[in-house]
Amino acid sequence: MGEPILVTGMGIVSAIGLDCAETLQSLRAGKTGIGALRYLKTIHQEFPVGEVQLSTNEMAQRLNIPDCQPRTRTSLMGMMALDQALRHAQLSDADRSKAIFVSGTTVGGMDMSEQFYMDFLHNDLHNDYISQHDCGACTESIADHFGPFASVSTLSTACSSAANAIINGANAIREGSCEIAVVGGSECLTKIHLNGFNSLMILDQNQCRPFDEMRAGLNLGEGAAFLVIESEASALRRGVSPVAVLEGYGNACDAYHQTASSPDGEGAFLSMKQALADAGLTPADIDYVNAHGTGTLNNDVSESQAMFRLFGPKVPPVSSTKSFTGHTTSASGSIEAVICILALQEQFLPLNLGWKHQMPDGITPVTDQHPSRPLKHVLCNSFGFGGNDSSLVFGLTTEHSVARGSSSLATTKSPVSKPLFITSAAQISIQRGLSEEWMDSPILYDEPYVRSLDIDYKQWLSPAESRRMGKLLKRALVTSLSAMQQSGVEHPDAVITGTGLGCMENTEIMLMHLWAEGEQNCKPTPFMQSTHNTISSLVSIHTHSHGYNATYAHKGASFDCALEDAWLQMQLGRINVALVGGQDEMTPNYFGMLCKTSTLGNPSQIAGETAVSLMLSADSTPDAMCKLTYFKRCYCPTPNFLSHIAAEIGNVDAVMTSVSGSATLSSESILETSRLFPDTPLMQFKNIFGESFTAYGLGVYATANILQKQRYPETMLIPGFRHPSECRRILVLNQVGGKDYTFTLLESL
Amino acid sequence: MEELIKEIKTNIIEVLNLEDMTPEDIENDAPLFGEGLGLDSIDVLELIVMMEKEYGIKLKNPAEGKEIFKSINVMAQYISDHRTK
Repeated sequence: MGEPILVTGMGIVSAIGLDCAETLQSLRAGKTGIGALRYLKTIHQEFPVGEVQLSTNEMAQRLNIPDCQPRTRTSLMGMMALDQALRHAQLSDADRSKAIFVSGTTVGGMDMSEQFYMDFLHNDLHNDYISQHDCGACTESIADHFGPFASVSTLSTACSSAANAIINGANAIREGSCEIAVVGGSECLTKIHLNGFNSLMILDQNQCRPFDEMRAGLNLGEGAAFLVIESEASALRRGVSPVAVLEGYGNACDAYHQTASSPDGEGAFLSMKQALADAGLTPADIDYVNAHGTGTLNNDVSESQAMFRLFGPKVPPVSSTKSFTGHTTSASGSIEAVICILALQEQFLPLNLGWKHQMPDGITPVTDQHPSRPLKHVLCNSFGFGGNDSSLVFGLTTEHSVARGSSSLATTKSPVSKPLFITSAAQISIQRGLSEEWMDSPILYDEPYVRSLDIDYKQWLSPAESRRMGKLLKRALVTSLSAMQQSGVEHPDAVITGTGLGCMENTEIMLMHLWAEGEQNCKPTPFMQSTHNTISSLVSIHTHSHGYNATYAHKGASFDCALEDAWLQMQLGRINVALVGGQDEMTPNYFGMLCKTSTLGNPSQIAGETAVSLMLSADSTPDAMCKLTYFKRCYCPTPNFLSHIAAEIGNVDAVMTSVSGSATLSSESILETSRLFPDTPLMQFKNIFGESFTAYGLGVYATANILQKQRYPETMLIPGFRHPSECRRILVLNQVGGKDYTFTLLESL
Repeated sequence: MEELIKEIKTNIIEVLNLEDMTPEDIENDAPLFGEGLGLDSIDVLELIVMMEKEYGIKLKNPAEGKEIFKSINVMAQYISDHRTK
C-alpha cells in the first residue's frame, strides 16, 4: 500500500466545457459534446468528433498570446487547463518553481507539422514550427507560459499518457523528490490520427455507443486536463484543502498486440488489481468505474472481461464518459480523472450515453445518475496502444486526509537514496553495434550526419517477426534482448523507454502520404508505429512482460525521464529490475529541418542515431557493471541551485559532458561545468556517438563501460584538462538547450 | 485469372513486406491467415487498403476482409467480380 496523495487543484478543457463548472453541467444534463466536425480541416466529414468549441486563434486570444508567437492547438489547450489548475490550487510562483510538471501527449505539435511539413522541407516560410513538432516542445511551451517548474517531463504512452503522467508525478511525491506535482495531458485532433484511426477501421460514423451490443467504434475528441497533486505535509503547510485523494494507481502491460487488447483483458485486469492493492482497497470498496470504454468492438469486450475477473458478478456502476467527450486520446487519462473527482464531489454517476443493447459478454453500464450508495472510492481506467494499461483510484476527502494535525509533518523521508546497479548494457549506434570496440578503436566521422551501423538482425529476429518493423524497432528490440540476455533477466519488472521522436520514419511516411495522396488509403502500419510507445510495448509484447511499461518523449531529456522513472520506482521499492532504453532515428528530411533551426549541422557536430538499452537492478549481481548512486533532473535552475547539486554530489574523478561537436574550452557549457566541478577532468561522448535526442543514454552506457573496464578511452578526454587519476566516481551530466539538466552519478563496484 | 493471381501475390508481398518470398511461394488455395502465410489482423487492414487502392473495392469492416482473404483463389474471384478499376 502506498502513501495517499492529495489533489488540490484541477483544470479541464474538452468538448463538454471549458472549465470544471461547464463540464459538470454537461455531465449532469447528459449533454454530449460530440457533433459534426467544425475546426479540423479534413475530408472525413462523415465522422462525428468531440472538438473543443474554440478555434486555435480564439484560444490564443484568451491566453493573450501574441500573433507572432508560434502556437499549437495541443499547447494552447494545455495552457487553458493548466491555468485553471494552478489557480484552483492557489499555487504561488514560489510553490510552482518547486513543483514538477509532467504532461502526456502523443500528437505534440503535429497539427502544425501536418500543415507545414512541405514548407519545412522546401522553403523557410514556417521554420518557427519545426521546433514545435515534438511532444517535449509542446510540454515546455505549456509550462513556460506560467514560468519555470522544478522539472518538466513528457509521457507518451498513446491513450494512457495522461494517466501515466499522474502516476509518475505521484511516484515523485511519494519518493520525496518533490512535494507538489502538476500532472495531466493535452491532445488536439489532427488529420494524421483521424486518418490513422480510420485505417484501423475503429471509427464510428454515428455517435459512439460504448458497451452497447450494436457499437461500431469510437469518436475522436480533444482536450486537456491537469491536476495539482501534493503530499499531505505540503497541503497543510500551504493551508489548502484537497478536493480528492489519489489513493492508488497501477500500470501493467497487456503484452498482446500493438493495437488490440487481449480477449481476457490481462493488462487491464493487472493494472486495476495493482491500483486497488496500492490503495489498500478490495474490489467491493469501489463505488464507480470510469471505464476506458472506447466503444470499439475489441476494447469493450476485453475491458468487460477484465472487470468480471476483478469484481466477479458484482461489478460496480460503470460508465464510459467518452460518450460525452469523445476519445481524447493522450489527454483522456486526466480528463476522466477530473470527471471522477467531480462525480465524487457531487455524488453522482456519470452516464454512459447511447447505450441501449446489452452485450452478451459485457458489463451493463450506468443508466441512472443517482448512486445507490455513497461514492467513496472510484476507479479510472486508461488503456493505450501496445497494451499500456493504467488505472487510478480516487477517494473522497476525509477528515483523515484534510487535517491530521501538524504531527504528520514529521514524516519526512530519509534523504539517503539506495544505490542501484547497472547490470548489463547494449547499443546499436554509429559505432559498431553490440560491441565495445568504440573503447579502443572508435570509428571517427567527418560527416555532419551519420546513420546507425545496422547489424544482421536475422540472428535475433525471424523474417516473420521483423517484417513490419522499421530499422529503429529492430535496433531497439535487439539491444533490449541483448541486455536481457547478458543479465539473465527474462521478464523485467519494468520496461521504460525514452525517445525524442519515436519511429520518425513512420511519422514521415504518413506526413508524405497526406501531402502526396491526400486523406485516401492511409495505411495502418505506419500509423500504429508512429506512436512513441510502439517501441516500449513491442519489447514487452516480444518478451511477454506484463510489468510496468512507459515511454517518455521529452526532447534531449527523453532517456533522462525514463531513467528517472526507474530510479523513483526503485527507491520506492515498487520495482526491482528495469529495462531502460533510449531509442531514436534521424531521417534525412528531419536532419535537414533541424539544420534550419541550428539544432544540428553546426561545425564539428555529428548527427547520429541511438539505440541503447540498460538493465537496472535494485540488487547487485556478480557481473554488474557499476552503481548508480545519485540522480537528479532540474529545469531552468539558478546558478546557486546548480552549485547546491554539485555540493551534494561532491568530488568526482571526471564529468562526462553532453557537449555536442568538439568541445572548446570556452564554450558556455564547458565553462559552467568547470565552475561547478573545479579541477575536474571533463569528457565527451558525442564526438564518437553523435548527437541525437536520446544520446544521453549512450553517455550513461559509455560511462558504465569505463567504470567496469577501469580505463578511459583517450578520444573521450577533452583536451586542456588533466588526465583523470582515478576511475571510481564519474558524473554523467546532460544539459539540454541550457534549460534542462540531468545529473547521474555512477560509481565503480 | 492467372495474371490477376500473380498480380495479387506480388501486391501482397509488397504491401505486407514479405521480403523473403516470391509469388511462387504462395499457394493458390492455402489459407493466408493463421497457418499458411500466418498473416494477422493488421495484415487484414493493410489488404483492405490495397483492395481499395488497386481495385477500387471498398470494404466496410475487417470481418468482411477475413472472409475474402481466405486464400488467393477466393481473393482473386472476389476481385474479378467486384473490381471498379
